[in-house]
Amino acid sequence: MSFGMKTLLCKDLHSYLRSLPPTVLDRLYCHPATCLAVFRDIPELARHYVMRLLFVDQAVAQAVVQQWSTAPAEEQFEAAAALVELRVWYEKPLPGGMPGWLLNHIFRTNLMTALLGGGTPWIGNKDLTPDKYTKDIPFLDKYALERWECVLHFMVGSNEGTDGVNKDITDVLLYSGLMRVDDGEPSITAEGFQFLLLDTSAQVWFFLLQYLDTVQTRGMDLVECLTFLFQLSFSTLGKDYCTEGMSENQLRFLQHLREFGLVYQRKRKSHRYYPTRLAVNIVSGLSKTKIDTHRPGFIVVETNYRVYAYTDSPLQVALLALFCEMLYRFPNMVAANLSRGSVREALARGITADQIIHFLHSHAHPEMLKRNPVIPSTVKDQIKLWELERHRFKFNDGVMYNQFLSQADFELLRNYAKDTGVLVWEMPEKRVLIVTKSGHDDVKRFWKRLKASSS
Amino acid sequence: MAGGKRDKKEKEQRKSKKAKYEAEVDEEEEEEDEIADKEAVPASASRECVEAAPKDEFGAFDYRQTLELKSDHKSRPLWIAPNGHVFLESFSPVYRHAHDFLIAISEPVCRPTHVHEYKLTAYSLYAAVSVGLQTNDIIEYMRRLCKTTLPSGIVEFIKLCTLSYGKVKLVLKHNQYFVESQYPDVLQKLLKDPVIQLTRKKELETGEVAEEFITGQVTGKSALQLNKQPLRPGDQAGPSTAANGNNEETKEDVPEDIFELYDKLDKEDDDEDEGQLKTVSFEVNPEEIETLQKRCIELEHPLLAEYDFRNDTLNPDVNIDLKPSTVLRPYQEKSLRKMFGNGRARSGVIVLPCGAGKTLVGVTAACTVRKRCICLATSGVAVEQWRSQFKMWSTVDDSLICRFTSDAKDKPMGCAICISTYSMLAHSTKRSYEAENVMKWLKTQEWGLMVLDEVQTIPAKMFRRVLTTVNAHCKLGLTATLVREDDKIADLNFLIGPKLYEANWMELQNLGYIARVQCAEVWCPMSPEFYREYLIMKSQRKLLLSTMNPNKFRACQFLIHYHEKRNDKIIVFSDNVFALKHYAVKLNKPYLYGPTSQGERLQILQNFQHNPKVNTIFVSKVADTSFDLPEANVLIQISAHGGSRRQEAQRLGRILRAKKGSAAEEYNAYFYSLVSQDTNEMAFSLKRQRFLVNQGYSYKVITKLEGMTQEDLFYRTKEEQVQLLQKVLAASDEDAEEERALGEFPSKSSFNRKVGSMQSLSGADDAIYMEYSGKGRTKKSDHIHPLFRKFKKV
Repeated sequence: MSFGMKTLLCKDLHSYLRSLPPTVLDRLYCHPATCLAVFRDIPELARHYVMRLLFVDQAVAQAVVQQWSTAPAEEQFEAAAALVELRVWYEKPLPGGMPGWLLNHIFRTNLMTALLGGGTPWIGNKDLTPDKYTKDIPFLDKYALERWECVLHFMVGSNEGTDGVNKDITDVLLYSGLMRVDDGEPSITAEGFQFLLLDTSAQVWFFLLQYLDTVQTRGMDLVECLTFLFQLSFSTLGKDYCTEGMSENQLRFLQHLREFGLVYQRKRKSHRYYPTRLAVNIVSGLSKTKIDTHRPGFIVVETNYRVYAYTDSPLQVALLALFCEMLYRFPNMVAANLSRGSVREALARGITADQIIHFLHSHAHPEMLKRNPVIPSTVKDQIKLWELERHRFKFNDGVMYNQFLSQADFELLRNYAKDTGVLVWEMPEKRVLIVTKSGHDDVKRFWKRLKASSS
Repeated sequence: MAGGKRDKKEKEQRKSKKAKYEAEVDEEEEEEDEIADKEAVPASASRECVEAAPKDEFGAFDYRQTLELKSDHKSRPLWIAPNGHVFLESFSPVYRHAHDFLIAISEPVCRPTHVHEYKLTAYSLYAAVSVGLQTNDIIEYMRRLCKTTLPSGIVEFIKLCTLSYGKVKLVLKHNQYFVESQYPDVLQKLLKDPVIQLTRKKELETGEVAEEFITGQVTGKSALQLNKQPLRPGDQAGPSTAANGNNEETKEDVPEDIFELYDKLDKEDDDEDEGQLKTVSFEVNPEEIETLQKRCIELEHPLLAEYDFRNDTLNPDVNIDLKPSTVLRPYQEKSLRKMFGNGRARSGVIVLPCGAGKTLVGVTAACTVRKRCICLATSGVAVEQWRSQFKMWSTVDDSLICRFTSDAKDKPMGCAICISTYSMLAHSTKRSYEAENVMKWLKTQEWGLMVLDEVQTIPAKMFRRVLTTVNAHCKLGLTATLVREDDKIADLNFLIGPKLYEANWMELQNLGYIARVQCAEVWCPMSPEFYREYLIMKSQRKLLLSTMNPNKFRACQFLIHYHEKRNDKIIVFSDNVFALKHYAVKLNKPYLYGPTSQGERLQILQNFQHNPKVNTIFVSKVADTSFDLPEANVLIQISAHGGSRRQEAQRLGRILRAKKGSAAEEYNAYFYSLVSQDTNEMAFSLKRQRFLVNQGYSYKVITKLEGMTQEDLFYRTKEEQVQLLQKVLAASDEDAEEERALGEFPSKSSFNRKVGSMQSLSGADDAIYMEYSGKGRTKKSDHIHPLFRKFKKV
């Protein structure tokens, strides 16, 4: 992610897959869609290696592979390491004993299928009769965002349309630590606030990762779910697909995705579904593509710390209210103020200055985008300064020595600590000194020795 | 000259003593006045548009239920909140129209880049009607510009404030007073009042009152005549002309009705040949003017004073004109057009940023009226500047100009243009014989025009004294910042007249009429030794310690070095005289402050302007206003007067005059405010900046000056710093205070110049930000404005 997250850690696809056990990975590679998705995600140099090895079914000497590119050794090493981590290839000694690389067989065959064609269709392998209720892309976008905002609304605790949030979603939210149960009612946590300020795509991806973690406890198979997810990500927006041929697990998974707004299904029992933009972009979700591009930005930030938001969405208003002082609400516009107090309140909740700036930036009004920088630099600086204000204390661990019986003792010990460079603070009048934690043992030993010799 | 012989120092002391005494007296008097004024204030003048609105869950006023969005809201530029706040999109295609309209009827609150905020107030609406806008037109145009339905409270408010205001005028022509109106029914109503009946002038022979009104005509032709008649489309556009070009293509997506109405208003405003308006009037007894005015206020029909200078035959014309080479900038012209809109001169205030050419506006006004004119400035230096400006722009003969200051007393008799200072005129104790004579003469004269420079600095008290001693038919106030920390600014509306025009700083900057300024706030960490003392000291000492912070000194020195290398001209401001002297002496730069004599001042300023070796001067607050230093382009502020927004803006004004030949750079002027971290200064500076930030300026916070460690600066070692600290601690209490006297105009202002409570220093009782706390509203409604005082004496 572009900003360093302190508490809310959001993995990208690569690091997620890396965390999976090898057996799961091998099973995942049984499906061409996964292989293609992984292939797209790996570094460019690694892709190059894979392509050259795709039709080689023997191990190739590592020295040879190295000569394929003039890229710096560091980059080569990274590419090779990435492939090892994802079990795309593994080390295999050549007959002569030289170290070599061999492509994962399952991965190789399925990627070949993906690239060259053949095999069974990935998804919805039955032709459907034309839909009586054809849905177009704008409709799907609207639907997806509505569904997704339901989840967010639920998190903020506003009452608008949260009735669609069922136990599955609540469970995931609680599991992920975005919410916690206070007095029997789920309420949002500091991580939750950070989550709210992410881009929609990042939110969906983070949420799904958390969901996938809980899949097994629901008695579903992780591989099946993941495979379906990868299939979905290669489907076409605005096209309908058939549920036939899907396993029981996958059908259950589909229902969950329907709740999150990743697919549209008119009725629960309906045999056709439409993937929405949220699903189509899911795998690329964390890279550059933006889900909200079809929805214009709405926030105007002025140099006098005024914020005007062209929105009637209670969710967006609620999000703004996290770090702004709200002044006026018009039917289609909200006027707010960024004040030291309001920003500090947000910071106290665990939201970082970067997250606030990122949020303002990613939702900037088209008029704002015409200017460079988009967010006035004074406002940006000020928000950061407000954050820095909270970090002016520097904490040093230390051990305090006091109740010296004589000034001489004190000075002796202090001088020793000073000479060894472990003295943090001293107060001769009260005969108090503080040494660093690491220096404590040494000083203590010195003191004991001193006492022993003097007595 | 009795005063001249006195020892300078002694005089100073006397002055400050007197200032102290007077300040006390003023306060008492003020209170009495307030009580006496209660009946003289129309009820609606102090009214505010307040409507209880529900609050949403975040504490914001929730207007979603009360206001209904129009279907074509995208092409309309305004939101109007029921509490009188108006928001305008600056990127709307009809921005220019809406902007011109709003500036006429409301007060700008903040005008940054994208969305501007205005506020409807009783005063602003009063100003609107007095320049000729009609109630129904205001409401109708607002309705059309608004994205939503118009809140009913606003309609009521506008009606309330405008229906009775501005309908009746008190006109002096042919040296007879007439009550004039375009509305016969209003006059009828007034005449039904027995008190007013008595004031009506009776026929001499018969003693009977004429039943008929005198009917007359007012031309709609503007009295303003300029050398170059600008081209048609640009002339009323002023600074917003920039929006003109794309008008044609954007017209389609703008609702028809907006343009229709705009054109209508436009025509009324400008069509100079058309408006032969029928008026009715009756003559009144000159002796009864005061009773009449008082009665009219009670009847909620305050009289607007206008001066029909063309038909004034009693006062001789003065032979001055603008030089043929003098050309006004569009916004200057526009502001004057408001003043001379109906062929007469209206009294009022024109607000232009510092450096945007306020003086030229004043000179042009004097050349238009062509009657005897008196100009009042804040200091002796300013008087000299006014004089030279008069000579620069107009054809006035040197003998016609007379300066009346403590240093220069030109022979006043027979002069046409008299330039003086407020303190000279308001002086209430004994004067020298000569000055006494001049004053007598001034009092007996009937002045055509009175130009009041830097009108915001003058306390109402002093004003009234000035306005009562000198009789002028028309008053023009000039200012850059219509803000004051003590909220007395509203009085000006009724002491001088409504605000006629207010320019947008950012627009003038973008068009290159004023300099593009980079504002920066430099944070200087307090050195530990100083901070320890700071924490245990009293408040006055605290200020001195934070000003004398060695890190601040180093930052200042560094900035001076840096800019001197760039051949910039630098002014350093310090309110604290001790710091001022110390900095200047240490850095070996010239300085001037209150006790500096007039001659020395002029010498320093001239050196600064013309001597390439003098690039930096240190000045105290005497230079806040009216010091015209066109060369200066860097300003460093090391100490300031608490949280005064006006001072900040005035100081910025010192470097705003447009700079030549530096169009390539993004900024051509620099404003640094040095603040010591963790001290009061931080909070004050935030408050000080509020006005400029609302005008669209942005302050860059600099926490570390790049390259400062390499430079060889003073106070590098701890020893030197400790020595400095000793010096500061040894300073007397008076040193710790801010400079008391404001040049030769001793502090008679109604606010305390000493360090006082946080609230008064920071201007906490200011309306702009009180409104958020909710407390301001209640306080405001209690507050009674001493309105209409000026009508006691015309």
